[in-house]
Amino acid sequence: MSDAADMPLIETRRLVKSFGGVHATDTVDFTLKKGELRCLIGPNGAGKSTFFKLLTGQIAPTSGKILFDGDDVTGLSSFEIARRGIGIKNQKPDVFDGLSARENLWLAAQFDTDKKTADQRVEKVVDELKLASFVHKLVGELAHGQRQWVEIGMVIARNPRLILLDEPSAGMDQEERIRTAELLKELNTNTTIVVVEHDMQFIKRIADIVTVFHRGKILREAPVDVVLRDPEVRNVYLGRTEVA
Amino acid sequence: MIKFLQKLQSPSSESPGAVWWAFIVIAAVILALLPQTLGLAQLLDLSVVLVLALLALSMSFLWGYIGILSFGQTAFFGAGGYVYAVAAMNFGTTTLPFFLGILLPMLLAAVLGYFMVYGKLSDIYFSVMTLVITLIMNKAMRATSGSQYVVGDVRLNGQNGIPGVPPLQVPWNPEITLFIDHVYYLAAALLILVYIGLRLLLTTPFGRVMIGIRENEQRIELLGYDARRYKLLAFILSGALAGLSGTMFAIWGNFVAPEMFGLDRAAEVIIWVIVGGKATLIGPIVGVGIIQYLTTWLGMQGVGQVTLVLGVILIVFVLAFKEGLVPTLGNLLLRLLGVRPGGQAEPGSDNEKGPDV
Repeated sequence: MSDAADMPLIETRRLVKSFGGVHATDTVDFTLKKGELRCLIGPNGAGKSTFFKLLTGQIAPTSGKILFDGDDVTGLSSFEIARRGIGIKNQKPDVFDGLSARENLWLAAQFDTDKKTADQRVEKVVDELKLASFVHKLVGELAHGQRQWVEIGMVIARNPRLILLDEPSAGMDQEERIRTAELLKELNTNTTIVVVEHDMQFIKRIADIVTVFHRGKILREAPVDVVLRDPEVRNVYLGRTEVA
Repeated sequence: MIKFLQKLQSPSSESPGAVWWAFIVIAAVILALLPQTLGLAQLLDLSVVLVLALLALSMSFLWGYIGILSFGQTAFFGAGGYVYAVAAMNFGTTTLPFFLGILLPMLLAAVLGYFMVYGKLSDIYFSVMTLVITLIMNKAMRATSGSQYVVGDVRLNGQNGIPGVPPLQVPWNPEITLFIDHVYYLAAALLILVYIGLRLLLTTPFGRVMIGIRENEQRIELLGYDARRYKLLAFILSGALAGLSGTMFAIWGNFVAPEMFGLDRAAEVIIWVIVGGKATLIGPIVGVGIIQYLTTWLGMQGVGQVTLVLGVILIVFVLAFKEGLVPTLGNLLLRLLGVRPGGQAEPGSDNEKGPDV
């Protein structure tokens, strides 16, 4: 692997986010190399979604630093961070309910380009994600899984350098989960990806390294199989989950 | 036709179709022919409806498109009227004052909007601030009755207002001034142009982002758009439209007074938009027509408490016809045609194909 590939794409240094004295994110040192596909796991309330919100500027950190491709992006607005190339799918479908799926995708695709290129990007995403059957419908009228696909499509349509996906397979059936996993692996050939997930089968399918969050801190960071056998991880999180 | 009715439910970023353009042509022809059948008094009444419809559009554009409720439209409306009046009476010509009546309210909106938008005021505080600005301007104009309050040669006259505002002159022949029917045609042409312009704006990237902000501001930001910039631009544009309406109001009535900034007027604008349907452009125009007609009719019937009646109408609409008259009627027609309101046409029908985004 080249030196460039070993460079961290995103890095946090002693990142803290407190809500009324409670540390939702507690001195997190996190590093992700370019080209990685990392999964974040942890029990509900472990701070995974808060961590994503910090990385995307949806909330400002209490202290600490966030570096993206070597630049300090701490405290930047959401739109400024998005412009640097970070795309996110939030935990709950975060879409434009009153617009059609195509209009949702178009809004994502046209941001930094001309109309023709935006149209081409939309067509590509519709084709890749197989959205054609509902692309003209209002997103507010779609099923949960379809809304998830639209939001994933919106993230992809912007061609970000780093994709953050918060529970992308939630609300999807088994077939859709497999499709999502395959899609992520394909995207990972030229995009760095971080995924928050609970589904261990899904995680095993896509990731090599897993980061475990617990009470706002990073508890472990290791290959999937190692993490799954770790007694402390099983105690705080996996004890409630069937591990295949 | 079904798609046309569905588009009445909310602002759509789809390109307007042939039915919409046909509707525009029919409306333009009707407006052009009406003076043949109306007397001057009726034409005068209709003219003010058209002028105030511009004010209603400035509000629905901001509220219905981007989701900002501004009570300050009357501030820009009043500013437009006063700027035209003072400038026209000082300059002796009216073409430049006409454009100043649009430009200065626009600048006022730019300055106020900058501090409110970039000051990160929440939506509710934004609304309150615009209300305060309207009240301050109303109070300030009422306090100008002393002889020291003069702009050039024009006394502001406090609550008595400024009478004798010059009628608009033909730019290339200032000897000719616009009479009642000419003002009507100008107001009708401006209303149609503004309506078309705002509708087409929705099909542009700017318009689509505006709707995106109304739908989900956080997602717009996460896509890389600076929502504040779009909000400010929308506020400036709506200020210009309100200024245009105020200028035309001064030309129509040859008179300006602090009531143009008044709380009554500010509330009326909201009633027009709510009654007609804020999520549409045609709704507020219909709202102005109905409320203005009703106000005049109630006055003729000797009903003293017209404001009270309007208040009751507002409550009824807020409770019973939340979306406003035009979307409600659109829904009704769609049900009669067997189409689920807001939904997509049946597969295989002519309307199945979606928008060319």
